[in-house]
Amino acid sequence: MLSKLYNHTGKAQVIGITGPPGIGKSTLIGNVSSKMADMGHRVAILAIDASSPFTGGSLLGNRIRMQESLSGKNIYMRSLANRGARGGLSESSIGSTAILDAAGFDTIFVETVGAGQADLDVMDLADTTVLVLGPGLGDQVQAIKAGIMEIADLFVINKMDRADSYFAMKDIEDTLAMDDARPFKREVVGTTIKDPTTYQSLIALMAKHGNFMRESGRIGEKRFKMGLRWMLEDELRARVIDPLMKRIPPNSEKKNYYDLMATVGQLFSENLNKVLEKEIV
Amino acid sequence: MVDGKNRSLFKDKPIKILLAKPGIDGHDRGVFVLAKAFRDAGMEVLYAGLLPTPEEVVDTAVNEDVDVVALSLLNGAHMTVFKKVADLMKQRGIDDIALVGGGTIPDEDKPSLEAMGISGNYGPGTPLSVIIEHVTRRAEEARLKKLR
Ligand SMILES: Nc1nc2c(ncn2[C@@H]2O[C@H](COP(=O)(O)OP(=O)(O)OP(=O)(O)O)[C@@H](O)[C@H]2O)c(=O)[nH]1
Ligand SMILES: [Mg+2]
Repeated sequence: MLSKLYNHTGKAQVIGITGPPGIGKSTLIGNVSSKMADMGHRVAILAIDASSPFTGGSLLGNRIRMQESLSGKNIYMRSLANRGARGGLSESSIGSTAILDAAGFDTIFVETVGAGQADLDVMDLADTTVLVLGPGLGDQVQAIKAGIMEIADLFVINKMDRADSYFAMKDIEDTLAMDDARPFKREVVGTTIKDPTTYQSLIALMAKHGNFMRESGRIGEKRFKMGLRWMLEDELRARVIDPLMKRIPPNSEKKNYYDLMATVGQLFSENLNKVLEKEIV
Repeated sequence: MVDGKNRSLFKDKPIKILLAKPGIDGHDRGVFVLAKAFRDAGMEVLYAGLLPTPEEVVDTAVNEDVDVVALSLLNGAHMTVFKKVADLMKQRGIDDIALVGGGTIPDEDKPSLEAMGISGNYGPGTPLSVIIEHVTRRAEEARLKKLR
């Protein structure tokens, strides 16, 4: 079913919002979405929470932070638990973005669990990646920046109502000043819940990046590739690996394992070569 | 304690439950105790926030595609507020989301709540394991309907 959906997708701008726990991602998404809905956008939100690795259970707490700004706005919001899937990105979120895209939403926010690999994973899905930072992160910020600074498209310093936020702002500005020639010039904006007009500049910046992606024909590209990769991996497992494993004779003491491996391996690669020789486009 | 995760129906997709105290009832603490207990039993738990309207409860339940909505009230307004939620679900043709109730509900009201499809209706002091077992059973019914 998903493969059919991909025919209809690639119009929406998927915006990944990532950053350390408690920095204000949900609050920000709630406020920004509500403004964008007023501007005539069709907005959907996927918010991913961490599952407990022990019980599999989770408290899906993001919704509660957005609820107020979303009420009566006709914005679709769905909470997902990451269920320990690759990094923090719930495996179903790739399918969900495809469905939402096909359903005609033009802007899809994805909030990720603010932790390590999860933050990197969102970038496999998003057309635009926004890294939210703020005051008082101290050394934590260095750890976060290590992996993600390179790949983020836009930066936000949230909680600008707090005095020390200017240091955080300055820090990012200094880093961005060292950006080499990039096709898209990266920028940082300050936001605060105390002054909702600050969200307007973020909206403008996200739109700017969205246009850049559209004009360069790259909107939806990463999602398409990732969806294809997962589809192929599943197919390979179901059609090739699993059946081959089943064909290994149960009583294989008589046989030499290495001979078996060689036979199966040869069968596999011969047929694979046939597939790979075919031209795709 | 029943582990929702271990029942095969919920192996890949745990029970998703929405906790709501609709209407005019400002007590919050009990909900958080329940939320944590459900989470520890392996469920994905959503909280609808303070004082959602019945419409908001149903909208959230549908958008989030939950298996169970747990309604609770301590102020005696259950017969009107719970009924409103059940009616809205019926009007919108939703039969794959189970409704359970809780709070201070007099025994004589329970049969009519049951007739609306709102089961459980446990009072304060009910062992958490009893509540979790009941929710799991209702979630199974709902999940089977979603899969049909
Ligand atoms: N002072 C101040 N507080 C804010 C601001 N934005 C959000 N907060 C508060 O920060 C806390 C966390 O906000 P959330 O929106 O839940 O943060 P989050 O990044 O989504 O958190 P997780 O999803 O748990 O990682 C809440 O208490 C918010 O009210 C802001 O601009 N200024
Ligand atoms: Mg959040």
